[in-house]
Parts: sequence; structure tokens; C-alpha cells
Amino acid sequence: MKRKTIVIITIMAVMQLAGCANLGVQPWERDLLAKDEMALDSEGVDIGLDDHIYFSKEATSGGRSFAGGGCGCN
Amino acid sequence: MQSSELPLSIEKRSDHICGRFSAMASPCEILVDSGDSELAKELTQVAYLECKRIENKYSRYQHNNLMFEINQSNNQAVTIDAETAKLLTFADTCYQISDGLFDITSGVLRKVWKFDGSDRIPTHPQITALLPFIGWQQVSFTANSITLPTGFELDFGGIGKEYAVDCVAKACQQLAPNVSVLVNFGGDIQVTQARKNHPYWQVGIEDPSNLSKGLAMVNIATGGLATSGDANRYLLKDGLRYGHVLNPKTGYPIQQAPRSVTVAAPQCIQSGLLATLALLQGKDAELFLQQQDCKHWCFW
Amino acid sequence: MQLKQTKNVSATLAAASCALLGTSVQAEDNSEEWKFDTAILYYGETDRVQLVEGVFNANKDFGDEHYFNGKLVIDTLTGASASGAVAQSGVQTFTRPSGNETYTVEAGETPLDDTFHDTRVQASGQWTQPIGENYRISGGLQASKEYDYLSIVGNGSLDMDLNQRNTTLSAGISYAFDSIDPVGGRPVDLSSMVVDNGQFDSSEAYQQAFDATRLQGSEQKDTVDLLLGVTQVINRRMLMQFNYSLSMSDGYHNDPYKVLSVVDQQGLTQDVVYESRPTERTKHSMYWQTKYALDQGVVDFSYRFATDDWDIDSHTIDSRFRYNLSETSYIQPHIRYYQQNEAEFYNPFLSQGTALPEHASADYRLGKMTAITLGLKYGMQLENGNELAFRLEYYQQTPDNAGFEQPGTLADEDLYPSLKAVIAQVSYSF
Repeated sequence: MKRKTIVIITIMAVMQLAGCANLGVQPWERDLLAKDEMALDSEGVDIGLDDHIYFSKEATSGGRSFAGGGCGCN
Repeated sequence: MQSSELPLSIEKRSDHICGRFSAMASPCEILVDSGDSELAKELTQVAYLECKRIENKYSRYQHNNLMFEINQSNNQAVTIDAETAKLLTFADTCYQISDGLFDITSGVLRKVWKFDGSDRIPTHPQITALLPFIGWQQVSFTANSITLPTGFELDFGGIGKEYAVDCVAKACQQLAPNVSVLVNFGGDIQVTQARKNHPYWQVGIEDPSNLSKGLAMVNIATGGLATSGDANRYLLKDGLRYGHVLNPKTGYPIQQAPRSVTVAAPQCIQSGLLATLALLQGKDAELFLQQQDCKHWCFW
Repeated sequence: MQLKQTKNVSATLAAASCALLGTSVQAEDNSEEWKFDTAILYYGETDRVQLVEGVFNANKDFGDEHYFNGKLVIDTLTGASASGAVAQSGVQTFTRPSGNETYTVEAGETPLDDTFHDTRVQASGQWTQPIGENYRISGGLQASKEYDYLSIVGNGSLDMDLNQRNTTLSAGISYAFDSIDPVGGRPVDLSSMVVDNGQFDSSEAYQQAFDATRLQGSEQKDTVDLLLGVTQVINRRMLMQFNYSLSMSDGYHNDPYKVLSVVDQQGLTQDVVYESRPTERTKHSMYWQTKYALDQGVVDFSYRFATDDWDIDSHTIDSRFRYNLSETSYIQPHIRYYQQNEAEFYNPFLSQGTALPEHASADYRLGKMTAITLGLKYGMQLENGNELAFRLEYYQQTPDNAGFEQPGTLADEDLYPSLKAVIAQVSYSF
């Protein structure tokens, strides 16, 4: 029950955001967003290494990107 | 030179500094890829002065400049300097490669074509009455002088702003040889060199078919970018849209041309000319640009 | 009215522009050089697993938003890992996975399988390019090989930009084929570990008994992942990403080296059996990430909720705060909190006298636990423009008893030892 509620709330939050036309910036306002460190995958190599560690030490993987396969450490 | 004497504003942003002023009937921006406010101020001052120098020399709206003197010369030779001779040579090249479609004497047509969004199309006799006063081939010029037939007028409108952008960029490059500077005069842009900590500058170009929110993002690392065409300059009659790009041979607007064309090229003035030449191709604009193998965006 | 010699227009114009402006002709090229990111990481648990991993990552921008990414990862793992058997008040003897020898574990010690060592090589390539004005496609392949394991993954995704690129919708699919061929063969699910305590007449008799618990040949696992995402620019400083992912795997999920102790009412081990996991698993996860640009840095925060049909739910909070010390250097603290509950078939041990369940595993990674990571990174741009960064992190995993009563002497043993590890990394980008 609790799990379902969380899923539904998250889906609603996503839909509300996607539906809201006021969000976003004009192209000339992208100065900050265009910085390398603002890219969602700016820590790509670190995240790849961390994912490997946590994949082999914990029961959950993925979420940020694909979870499947990769090594025999789990 | 104190900046307080010049109508400039300097704004420090997170990763660059923006200097602003107004000239050539456009908002002008100088983006400096540095945190040095003093340098940015200096660059904006230089930009302003260079821009005003060119505007004052070639604007056809002023009555005490070289352009006025040439346009009022009544078939008499007028002495010109090296810069003007180079601009005329450039305009001549454009005339040649466009088979006469790009003609800096075609400005006289604006006496009857007022592109104000209305339906006031000039009459056929009004237009044909002006055609004898158009024709670059009737203008003679040398390195030192120009002779314009009576009733003719020169108009650097098609190249002036782009030329100013390039001149300003060149001046900025000389003053700050290691800093990336973006010169933007109302959408005509030149970047002096690549930025240090970012792969590119990001600028929006207007999509005339969708003015309220229609800006396409363009990433520009270095080089020039210019747009030809203007959503607000047209006439509309009986459902027919008359764009503001005129064919100097017929005196009528080019049919089926895109509303605007944006082109990227090493220099702003190259971009501007390619964009204008594309518009002059009418419905073949896109094909023409593809043949030129340049990065471009057409809005129809 | 066509232009004369259309194709020469551009070149003529370029020459004319140069004459006008007094500049030299330059070729337009918006593609960039190769960019390389390299890193070496050390992960060390106290008295347990040590991992050294090297990464060589290459990116190339071919212009017009056509990108290639290639990555090579090599890692070496050594040390011991908890086998799943419980600590006892007396010495215990176990057979190694190969069946070739036995090892002993002292009283009160958590049984570890100390033959754990492997080298893994992973190579991948990914291509991304736009399709039309508002779409991007991406496709990639990855292969990973270690001594007893092979994994091949293919993925494809489509992104759509909306609302002046303020909103991006993504959909992706990935298929992974994994194949495992364990040392000494695969143990039969829940079969008893054969230990040579001198009860066999000959080594042949032992081998026969051992072989009876083993299956030869490789086993496979197929995994299909689906990912749906929305990335939204909120304002000039903030952007967010939401992902929903579904992962379905079918095939061999066991860890062939993990066992369970079967204890009597006094808590004494009577038998050791190999684990058995279901052959299917379906996972769902919701992931939310937000990044916020400050004048002096960036805040990165993410939360992930995952749930699966093994009844494992987990919550992960990951946060990084980059603070720019100067134009060319920064520090970045990192904190991560992870919590999971136990799998439905998780048992720290089995009880003698009760029927064997269909599935059982004592693998601590499927048990209830919390984990915390604390880290600090320092990065600096060198005079040549390349970037050097150092990262040091501390990872602690604390398993919890999910309500299993420990009978007899087992009550005195620590069945949930915590795991402490240090992560050190040096990165260099050029």
C-alpha cells in the first residue's frame, strides 16, 4: 500500500512538471545550465565506478540508467 | 575615456560579463569570457566607439556623412577612402555572384515599399517608375572615387551591420587576444575565439513564424552567425504575403522565400551574405544553402 | 533565377570577406579533438575484498551533436567475502568451491571464502546523434569478461526535446546476456556441501560424492531493461530528471559460491547447503535527480526508490555539493545513504527439522541493511587546461537482523558484522 502511494505521488509529480508550461528558460538564460558541472552526467566516470561498487555490495542497481547485467559480482 | 560618458551598461554574470549598448537601431551585446570587469568595460567601450564610427560614416539616415555626400552627388565623382573602396569592392563581388540580385542601389525601392505589416502594396506604375534608378552596373568606382548617376542611392543596409560586427570583433581580438568575446548586434554575431571553460557560447535565434516563444538555440564556438529576413517587415494583401526582400530587377518582393534564414560561417559578413543570397533564391533557399555546405537554419 | 556557378559562391564570398576585413581564410570546423577521462580507483574493505579498477574513457565530438563514447574498464579483485555460513563456537571446516581442498574457520569468526580473486575487462562503445531537429538517438554495446563470467549488453534510446529544449523525454531499452561457468561447476540448489572429514574410503569416493552435488556447463541469464525519463529545466539555475525503470531478468540468479548453515536447536551447525534463488526477478525503480547551480558551485541531489518481486525495497539518497574554491579548483563533499529490507527468501541460516524452503539465501547483500558513504573530492585545472582530481570516501554497511531469532549458542555470535571500506580515486582528464 505504502509502495503504491509513493509510486503514484511520484508519477503525479512528473506529470505536473511536464504539463507546466511556465517551467524552463529562454535560450539566452542557459548560461548556468550550459556549464559542464551542471550536466546530469558530469561525474560520469565517478558514477560508473560507484555503480560497480554498489552493484556488487547491495541488492538494488540502476535507476539513473540501465541496471542489467555487467559483471558476476552479484 | 570614462564609461560614464558613454551610454553603456556592464553586467557581471556567473561565467562571463555582458556589456550592452544600443546602436544601428539594434540592441548590441558584448559577451566577455572572463571575470575581469575592467577588461569587459574596456572592450565594450571599444566596441561602442567602433560601431558608432561605422554607423556615423555609412548611415543613410544622417545628413552630414559620406553616404549622404555620395547619394546627393548628382553624377559627380566623390572622393572615397580605402575602407569605402573595400566595401564597394565587396558589394560588387556580391552583385557578380548573385547575377545582379544583390544590388546596393536597390534601396530606392523603399520609397514605395513600406513594410509595416499593412496591405498598402504600391501600384505597378509606382514601382516601374523607380526601376531606371536601380542598377549597380551603372555605378563606376575606383580605389579613390565613386560616380553615382543622378537619382541613384547607395544603401549599405544589407552589409553594414554585419561589417560592423566583424570590425568590432577584430578590435576586441586585438585588445584581448586570449579572451573569447562574442559580439552580438541584434542577432548578427561574431565570436573571436573558443571559450576557456565552456565548449561554446549559446545564443537564441528568432523563429519568425513563432515569435512568442520561438527561439532556436544555437551553439557557437567560434566564427560568425547572421540572420536575414524579418518577421515584422512584410505586407499582407488578399492573403498574399509580401516579404521585405526585393528583387532589384522587377521591383517586387521575392516570392516564396523563407521568412528568415540564419547561416553560420567563419565571418559574420559571410554569414549575412549567404543568408541574404539564400533569401533571394526564393523557394530554392534551402537547396542553395545545402550546395554551399554551410550550417544553416531556414524558417518558413 | 539561379545564381551563377552556385557552388563557387561560398568560396568567392569567403575570399571577398577576407579582403574586406583583412583576415586570413580559415576552415570552419566545429568538431573537437578527442577528450579522455582516466581514473584509477582503490576500494579496500578491512580484512576482506580489495579492488583496484582502472577506467579509460574517450569522447569525441564529430560536430553537429554527433558523439562517440568509448570506455575500457579493467579491475582486479582479491580477498575474502562472507560465504553466508554462520559463525560457530567451534572450528568449522568447509570445502572450497573447486572441491579440491578444505579450509577451516576459527571459533567465533565469520566464515569467509578467501579464494576470491578475479580480473575483469569491460569494453563499451556508444554513439549518439540527432535525428531531425528535436530527436536524438543513441545506441551502444558493452562486453564484460571475467574468469567465470561473460556479459554482453546492447542498448538503444530515443530522446525528444520539447518546449525549446526545456523538456526532454527519453525512452530506452537494454538487453543483457550473461553467462556464468563457475569454478568446480554449479552447485545443485540447496544441496549439502560435501566436506572430506575422513569419512570417505578413497579420494575417488569423495570426488564422486562431490560431483553428485555439481552440474557442469554454463548457465545463462537474460535481462531486459526499459527506461522512461523526463528531464525538465525548472529555471535558470535548476534542472530535474525523473526516471522510471523496469528490469526483468530470467535465468540463473544464484551466487554459486554462497551457502547457508543449517543449525539445530542449540544453534550448532549440522549441515551447510548451497543457496537457491528464484530464476526470475522483476524490478521497478523511480529515480529523481535535481541539480542546482549556485554562484559558487553546484548542488546535486538524487533519490531512488526501488522495489522488486523478491520483496526487496530500497531507498537511496545521494548528494554532492560542488564548491568552487577558485576559477580552477573545487572541493566536493559527497554523502550517500542507502537502506534496503531483506529478500523474501533471505535467511541468515536454516533450522534443522523444518522443511527446506524452495528458495533460500544467506547472502548479506540480500539482507536488511543500511549503508552510508561519506566522501570528499578535490579537483583542479592544471595550467595546460587538463583536470586532475582526487577522491577519498568511506563506505560503511550495517546489516540488521530482520527478526530472525538465534537459537542456543548462535545467540552469542555476531551474524550481522558490519563492513567498512575505503575508496580512493585519482582522475585525470585531458
